[in-house]
Order: sequence, then C-alpha cells, then structure tokens
Amino acid sequence: MSETTIERDRTAQRPNGIGADAPRKEDDRLLRGDGRFTDDVDPARALHMAVGRCPFPHARILAVDVSAASELEGVRQILVGADVARRSEPISVLRPVPGAPPLPFYALAQDVAVFEGQPIVSVVATSRAIAEDAVELIEIDYDPLPHVSDTIGALEPDAPVLHPGVLSSNLLATNPQGAGEPEERMAQADVVVEDRFHINRVTGLPMETRAIVAQWRPGARELTVHHSTQVPHLVRKQLAESLRMVEGEIRVIAGDVGGGFGLKLGVYPEDVLACLHAIDLRQPVKWVEDRLEHFRATTHARESVHDFRIGATADGRILAMTNTYTTDLGGLNSPFGSAQLSTIVFTGPYKVEDGYVERRVAITNKTPIGAYRGYGQPEVNFARERLIDRLARRVGKDPLELRRQNMLRPEDLPFRNPGGGLYDSGDYLATLELVVDAVDYDGLRRAGRGPRPDGRLVGVGLTSFVERTGYASAKFLANRGSQFGAHESVTLRANRSGGIDLYTGTPTFGQSSETAFAQVCASVIGIDFHAIRVHAGDTGATPLNTGAFASRTMIAAAGALKQASERLRDKALRIAAWRLERDGVEGLAIDGDVVRDPDDPGRSIALAEVFTAAIIGQGIPIGEEPGLEATAHFEPEEAAYAFGSAAAVVAVDPETGDFAIERFVMSHDCGVAVNPLLVEGQVQGALAQGFGAALSEDLTYDPDTGQLVNGTMLDYFVPTAADIPEVELHHTAVPSPVTTFGVRGVGEIGTIPPGAAIANAVCDALAGEGVELTALPVTPERVWRALQQARNRSETS
Amino acid sequence: MKPAPFDYIRPATVAQAVDALDQHAGMARVLAGGQSLVPMLGMRLMRPSALIDINGLEDELGRIECSGSETTVGALVRYATLERSPVISERLPLLAHVVRYIGDRQVRNRGTLGGAVAQSDPTGEMGLVCLALGASVLARGSGGERTIPIEQFFEGSYANVLEPEELLVALRFPLAPSRCRFFERGRKHNDFALISVVAVGSEDADGRWHDVRIALGGINDRPVLAPAAAARLEGARWDAAAIEEAAQLALEVADPPDDVRASADYRRHLVPVHVRRVLTDLAAGEDR
Amino acid sequence: MSDTVEITVTVNGTVHREQVSVREHAADFLRHTLGLTGTHVGCEQGVCGMCTVLLDGQAVKACLLLAPQLDGHEVETVESLAPGEELDPLQQAFKDAHALQCGFCTPGFLMTATALGREGRALSRDEIRDELAGVLCRCTGYEHIVTAVERYLAETPARERADV
Repeated sequence: MSETTIERDRTAQRPNGIGADAPRKEDDRLLRGDGRFTDDVDPARALHMAVGRCPFPHARILAVDVSAASELEGVRQILVGADVARRSEPISVLRPVPGAPPLPFYALAQDVAVFEGQPIVSVVATSRAIAEDAVELIEIDYDPLPHVSDTIGALEPDAPVLHPGVLSSNLLATNPQGAGEPEERMAQADVVVEDRFHINRVTGLPMETRAIVAQWRPGARELTVHHSTQVPHLVRKQLAESLRMVEGEIRVIAGDVGGGFGLKLGVYPEDVLACLHAIDLRQPVKWVEDRLEHFRATTHARESVHDFRIGATADGRILAMTNTYTTDLGGLNSPFGSAQLSTIVFTGPYKVEDGYVERRVAITNKTPIGAYRGYGQPEVNFARERLIDRLARRVGKDPLELRRQNMLRPEDLPFRNPGGGLYDSGDYLATLELVVDAVDYDGLRRAGRGPRPDGRLVGVGLTSFVERTGYASAKFLANRGSQFGAHESVTLRANRSGGIDLYTGTPTFGQSSETAFAQVCASVIGIDFHAIRVHAGDTGATPLNTGAFASRTMIAAAGALKQASERLRDKALRIAAWRLERDGVEGLAIDGDVVRDPDDPGRSIALAEVFTAAIIGQGIPIGEEPGLEATAHFEPEEAAYAFGSAAAVVAVDPETGDFAIERFVMSHDCGVAVNPLLVEGQVQGALAQGFGAALSEDLTYDPDTGQLVNGTMLDYFVPTAADIPEVELHHTAVPSPVTTFGVRGVGEIGTIPPGAAIANAVCDALAGEGVELTALPVTPERVWRALQQARNRSETS
Repeated sequence: MKPAPFDYIRPATVAQAVDALDQHAGMARVLAGGQSLVPMLGMRLMRPSALIDINGLEDELGRIECSGSETTVGALVRYATLERSPVISERLPLLAHVVRYIGDRQVRNRGTLGGAVAQSDPTGEMGLVCLALGASVLARGSGGERTIPIEQFFEGSYANVLEPEELLVALRFPLAPSRCRFFERGRKHNDFALISVVAVGSEDADGRWHDVRIALGGINDRPVLAPAAAARLEGARWDAAAIEEAAQLALEVADPPDDVRASADYRRHLVPVHVRRVLTDLAAGEDR
Repeated sequence: MSDTVEITVTVNGTVHREQVSVREHAADFLRHTLGLTGTHVGCEQGVCGMCTVLLDGQAVKACLLLAPQLDGHEVETVESLAPGEELDPLQQAFKDAHALQCGFCTPGFLMTATALGREGRALSRDEIRDELAGVLCRCTGYEHIVTAVERYLAETPARERADV
C-alpha cells in the first residue's frame, strides 16, 4: 500500500530506533566548526605539495628542466615522471570495464600526457605558495599532439589513437546485453521511435576538494594517510599496490569528508605522489586540491551518447527497446571509470521482455570520467523517457496513458529485465498516480497549454524510473572483475561505561550513516541511541569493509548491524541472567541503560555492570568467554530496486526559450526508511544535483584547442539556494524482500528524474511547434534553438 | 592557487596612494573590495609588483555627497551601503535597485562602486547604470584630478582609459531622470549578465519622453549606450511601433561575444526582445 | 619586498598579534595560524562561500581578504557561536531541520545567517534564498537550510540574536 508520507514509527520499540527521525550524531561537531576534515589536520613540520599539470589535451613531454625550481628557497623535493615509474606502480582500476585491457595510469605522466590537468611534476616546499612558485619555474618542453574531445569522434577511423601501445583504436571495450528477440519485435512494430541523445559532462563538485596528509615513520614502517575518501579500505589496498608496500604498513584515516558523490572512490595520482614525498623526506606532506585543479584532475561524469529505440503496436503497447550507447572515459581509466548502470535499468519500469543494450567505452583527451551519484541511471532515463513521450504523441495517446499502459504491475515482480536487472518488488504505478494526483495532471490538461496573457506556454512532463541500489552479489561483481565485494562489515564493542563503540569502515561524508547505524543497533539491542558511539573511517580500527557507494551502505550494513547487534545483545543477556540469578534469558531485555527482570519490574541490572563484567571476565557464567564484542559481515541476496516518478510543470517563453519550473513533484519508494527525515534530506540533495545537471552544469571543451573552457566556479553553473525550484516529495514504502528490514538504497534516486521531467515538460509546452529536445542541459538557449529548428523544418516541409 | 609574491602597501591618504601607484610605474594594482582582484591573484592571472590597499581611506573615498542636483559617490562606497542608503534610494533609485543584482550578500558587503567601474567588466551592473545615468569618473594622478565622462571611459573588455598611475576616486551622477527600468538575464542567480538592459527617461504631461537613454550590458566588449534607439524615442510618445523600431535600432550597438554563457547569435536575438520589453514596461508605468 | 607584516586582530573576542605573510588570505590565517579550522575553504574564487566569516559584523568571504587586511578589525567565526554546552538557537534550528549533511558548507551558512539575524528584518523564503545565495551546498538541496533559517528568524527575537 502506498501512503503520501513515510509513516513515522511511533510505536518503535526504542526512541530513536528504526523509523524515527533521530537527531544526527554527526551534527554537533559540524555545527560548532569542530569537524575534522583532512585539511584541518596540521601535523608539526608539515610540508606542502603542488603539482605541475599538462596545459594541453594531448602532448608528448620532450624535456623537463627543474634546475631553477630546485634552487628556490623553501623547495624540498621535486618528482618527475621517471621517478614515479621507478618507484611506483600504475593506479589500479577497482571496477574495470569487462573486456578492457589496462591502460597504465602512473601518478605522473610518462612520455605522453592524455588530458589537460594530468600531473607532470610534483614539488614539495615549506608552503603551498612557494611550491606553486617552484612549479612555475619548472620548464617543460611539450610537443602538442592531435587531440580528440568528441565522444563519437574518438571512434572515427581517422581519430588519433590515444593509447597505441595497448589498443588499435579508442574503443576500450564493448559490453552487449539483452534478452528475447528485440529485432524481430522491432520488425513487427507498427511504430518505431528512435533518436540520439547527448548527455552532458558534469561533475559532482563536493564542497571539500580532495585532500591528503601523508606521514611516514621509517623505523616503524608505518605510513599514516589522512584522506578525504568514501572508501578508506580500498584506498589502502590501492596505495599498497602502487607504492609496492604491504597493507599492514598503511593506515588510512578518513575523518569528516566534505561530500563525495562518487568522486572520492579510490586513489588519484596526487595520493601516490604525496606518499612518495613523505617517505623520501620523512616529514608530513599535505596536499589540498585547489578548485582549479579540481575541475581538471578530479573525475567528471555522465558524458555519453545514447542511440535509443522503442518499438510499439499502433495502440502503444511497447514491444521492444534497444539502446546502443557510448560513454566517454576521458584519457585514462579512473578507479571506477565511466558509468556502468545505463545498461541494467535501460528499460525502466516498463514491461519489456525483448531488449538489447550495448555499451561502448570511448577514450578521449579529457579528464577521466568516474562515478557520480546515479552512475548511468539519470543518463539513460533521459533518453528513454523522452522517447516514451514521443511514442505517445506518435500513437495519439497522452504520455500518462502510455506509461500506465506499459508499466510493470506488482504481480509482474520479481521481473528480470533485458538489461539483466532483477526487480525485486514494488508498486511502480502507485508512485506515478501519486504525482499525477499531486500535480493535478487532469486539471492541467483541461486548462491547456495557453498561451497565458504574458505569452508563455504551459507544459507538464512526467517520468518514471527504477533505480538499482546495492550490488547483486559478490559473484556478480567477480564476473565483472570488480576488486571489491557486495557485503558490508561492522564491529560492535561494549565499553565499561555501559555504552557501545560501533566501528565501521564507512566514513562520514554527509550520508548520515553514523546516525542510521546507531538507530539500527538501538532497535535491535534496546540500548539508548545516545550510548552508541560511532567510530568511522579509520582502517587501523575498523573491520575491513567495502565502502560507501552505489547506494549500497544500508542495503548491506543493515544485515551486518543486525547480526552483530543480536550476538552482542544475546551474550549481554546471558551474563545479565546469570548475575540476576535467573535460569536462561527468557523474557530478559535491554531497556536503555539497564537489563530488566521480567518477573520483577523493579529489579534490574545496569548495562555498565553487565558490560564491565564481560570485559574484565569477572562475574560471568562459567564457560562464557570474556569480552563483549561482535563483528559481522553481511551480503544481501540481491540488489534492491528503488523506484519513483516525477512531474514537472513549466511555463516557457517561446520568444526567448526562457522557462520557469513552476512545480516539481516527486514520489519515490526506498522501502523501509530507517530515518524518514534523513531519507528526505538525501532525496532533496540528489534532486538539487539533478537540477544542476539538467539545467545548467555543462563542462565544455573547446573543439579547436581541446581545453576545458569553464573550469572555474565562475563559469560552471552550480545552483544556489535561489536557483532550485521548491520540490514536493511523496513516498511509498514497499519493503524489499531481499534486504534486512526491507530497506532500499536512497542516496542517488533524486538525480534521476529532473532531466527527463523538465525536458518532457518543455516539449509538452511547445508540442504545437513540434519541439523535441535531445540533449542536456536544458538551457533557454537550447530551447530557443530547438524552436528555431522546428520552425525551419515546418517552413521547408 | 596562491598568489605570486607582491609588495603590500597601505597608504594613509589618497595622496600617498597616488604616489605609490606612481612609484610602481604601472605595475601596482589598487586593492579596494578585492572581490574580483583577489581570485585573479590566486589564479596568478595577475601578478602586480605591489598591492595598494585603499581600504583605510574611508574618510576620503567612502562618502556619499550631494551638491545641488549632483550626487558624488566615493570609490570606496560598498554595494551594501548603496543598497541601504536613503540618499541613494531617493536620488539614484536605479542604482539602489540594480546593486541587488550583483554577486551575493558577502560580495555586496565588501565590493565597491569604484572597484566595479575600474574593473570594467563588460557585463557589470555598475558600469551599465553609470552609463545610463550619465555619470562622470573622477580620477586622480600625480598631475592632479580629472573628470572623465563615462561615455568615454570604457575602452574594451576589462579595459578603460585610466592611466596605470591613476586612482579612481569617485563617480559623480547628475540628476537622474524620473523613470527607469532594468532587466538582466544570467545563467544562474545573480550571475554575470548574458544580457542586461536599462532604459531611463522622463515623461512629460503630454505623454512625450525626454532625456531617454538606453544602455546594454553583456552584448559588446563593454557596456554600451544605444543612441539610435534612444533618439527614436526622444520627444516621442511611445506606442508599440515606436518601441519596436527602437528595439531593432538597439541592435546597431550589439557585437556580442560567443562564450560559455551564451552564443553571440542568441545574445543578438535577445537584444531587441528585451529592449522592447523594458521599454514596454517603462511606458506602462512599471519602473525598476 | 616585505613578505610579512604584523597585524593585530580581534577574533572571537580574543586579541591576536601575529606576523602574517602578505600573500596569505584571511581564511588560511584563521585556519592554520590561529587553528580555527571551522572556517572552511572551498574554492578561493569567492564563489562557494564556505569561508564566510563576520568582519566587523558583516558577512564576508575570507578567501577574498588578505590576512594583512584584518589588521585593526574584529572577526567572528563559527567557533564563536556556541561557547558553552548548548548549541546556539541558529545551530539548533539547523540540527532540528536536518539542514546539514557533510557539514562542510555549514559554517558558511551559519555565519551568513547570523549576520542576517542581527539585522532584525522579517524575510520571506525567497528573500532568505537570495540572502543565502552566496554559500553553495551540494548535499542538502537547500530546502532544509532555508527552513532552518526561516524558523530561526521567526522564533528568535531580534534583540536576542543581536546579543549573541
């Protein structure tokens, strides 16, 4: 059943347990300015690194002269490409493209640099300013080479081959996937709609840039690395590989992280460089990426071209879908590389049994692409949902009717789609009906498109979507060569104050996992939420986990938290029973800071006493092991699929292409919400990034010079508080059968609908002119151009 | 992103500031609000030998003075002061209104009118308003003070006629026409304008307009007046036909750039559209 | 060329006399010389607003001020808001409304809203959005931040806000 708000669990057995709007554990320190972000770590005698970067998209490095820079007062060390090749291994890929050969990614470019911003030299000095002075004094002789910046152009036969030692073209790999007989169905179709859709290159732009502080104790062989990352345990693995060390020698500490969004998944060149300098100099080395570097050296995302096709009967029943799409990898393969999820959800929430999808990965002379919130799902959603609207117009149906007609029903689930995804459960249509009601779709249709007295035309656009959250299994990942598992791990340890220390390798970067984890423990154990202290992100203290990405944290961690909590609780109760001189634990329960005797409500024993007894091994049952801690690892049986729908209402000025988003309504289902307020925060935040990518963000390369033209905060249009439309959120809550507590992931779903809903709304408003938008972002100029084209078409036809 | 080395000079008087500029022979930069200059330093797009920090010269440069119909605004008067000054809102309401389209709260608390005009950003709101209101730039060099009509001040993108040794000390505004209308379109909230339009004038009892000036930003390498468009409307009653003719005439001064904000084609398309709308609104009594 | 200059600056009520590099910006000085790391640096281009502090009571971006310019002035940073055990009402409003996620931008919003609160103006949601537009956030989507500031302005009397 659906409801319009997540039900606040007023009957939760614990205050601040699962289902409650618990106050965030992270907040107090962050509100007081007492978070500890990487640049807040200021070890004594720290040195500062600056990196010299290639100004060209593609260039051979003929000579590097560091003599003048070496003599500058305050400069301690300079590394060049040859040093790095001698001292380190290329950075590994954590989530490879199936079938792709490795492209050696050294921390400093070797003979040839393949993107603007690629590190060429690194300098360590007594201050960042001096290190930057030194970088300017290094003379690098470049031979600029022909470059390719267009994703499709990179695959043309005459394009310069960027990794000639490894590949004979710029096609890294092709990954086909399908089911049924799509071509036969297309041939039978009364109507086939198809087009090419261009998705813009954007970046997640966390407000904290990347940063690292590396310290080396040679006698102890201990490299301590403070790092702004989502995955400290994976960073440790990658650093060990690149630095030719063993993992035991490396401790990675992710303190507070100022946003990740997928951009902080793994090692970057500067991490290897800072460690090499710290080891050589035996002094702490700090590098904080500046925003100019960030735009060129931290992964970009989304850029892709989708050739999407839908075949249907004359009355609108979809027979088949195909999508051949090319993702832009950039110059090298970052640890996560270009998006891989456009395949698995390409058919969306529709009942499509015959489909084919093919992913091609193209190499270009641009900043490497990496993961970003959504990871392929907003991209393919735009292509498919734009075509669904077009199909509706072709068969003479309202887009709402066409969606209703083709949408999977709860009884169709579980459903294996042609992209390989196994939809677990859900009522997809319910989310659509929610937004349709909320936005008064019928009323808008009755009112018509206008024009209004001011000349503006009104349109409404819909989109429905399914989002994969979490990973199917370690086996699924193994088949794709991924260097990580599908599980999550957690350690709980009782302390003598009667509290529990919760250790997790998932660092804190805004996803509120400290709070949500403690809520699960409080629910299962019965202990006061405030008595749980979360220790996150230090590989020296936390169990070896996977990390926080792919909306997977809660999907997997909920099970680990439940198991560890049950084990710790059960042992504590055995000890309590023994101390209360009872036979067995029947009826005993932890209630806040005590264990209560069910037969004598006045009689209880303090948790601090129980925990202390266990920790010191005094006064515990004979045969019971001392100590009170539990570590659990949990892999869910399948990925869970979140889903939702959205509607946008726009008013378009047909003279200028300007448009206002007058309403934006979204409904979504993330299963059981551990903390409804935090769920809402995640959806709102992802929506804002979705609006940015849909409306204004667009990393643009000059086709002639191959250089990034808008790599500053002034020219990359991140929405402000005054740019985001107010959003109305609605929820349904169908528990997922494949996860503990029925949760689905929630971190990314908001990125999916804005592009499709807004573009559909604008095209709806301009349906009389025959405007069809096929590219993001939807800017007023793009709308104006589409109008010009449509008018020219109608004049010439 | 740290600045290259420079000398930091904090003069106690305008005379000292002018001396320092002279001594550095064109290699020094004046630090006023710093909202554009400091990022340029960090990106090392500017490498002055010295920064002359005039923020201590409030007494000489931070005043708003009225003399008859003229209003003189010191170079160091900050946007936030303009935003809240009763004198400005009474005598130069256009300036008080448009200043809210600059940057954000923090930038307006710090940025200065003189700094904006000296920066000569082709999309800048302050240059546009000064142009529309016919202001004069007061500049002081070692040879004394001179007055430069704003129409002769801007020379190109981020370029003006100030000598490197000269300090912009004030903007002097004549009596403002009674009516004004402003429009600006950017890619995001208070972003650099891809087009901005100001029209000012006075309507007499007979419905005829006088002292008409139309200024445009973002569509050339500097803020520009549209004299032909204004001339078409001067002394006339504004009917739709007159306004449409003036809007088309405004295109004469459009030579827009092609950049990440908008193409030249699109900007050119917007010029007559928004000039027409601004004039139509103004004629309809919708000011500001 | 003198690389450093001595300044006297009052930060959160404490007078500091320090030698500063003339090319250091104020945010770096506050963070790395005084150890007040609550003021964050997000772009050094004057856009993101993470580094917003109050200079003589006015919200300004500390990456657009050079450290020597602090001489003779008063600065307030996020660390001044809650000297004791209790959060100040604005901080509490942020917590209650879930107006922060990663928390990196939070000090910028708090200081901007602190100055706004002291003005004692009644503001609509749209006006609040405009006043907050100088600080960017990538996590929250702003809605909850606007709500927190709206509640703070509505519920805390202006006099009390000015007394902070």
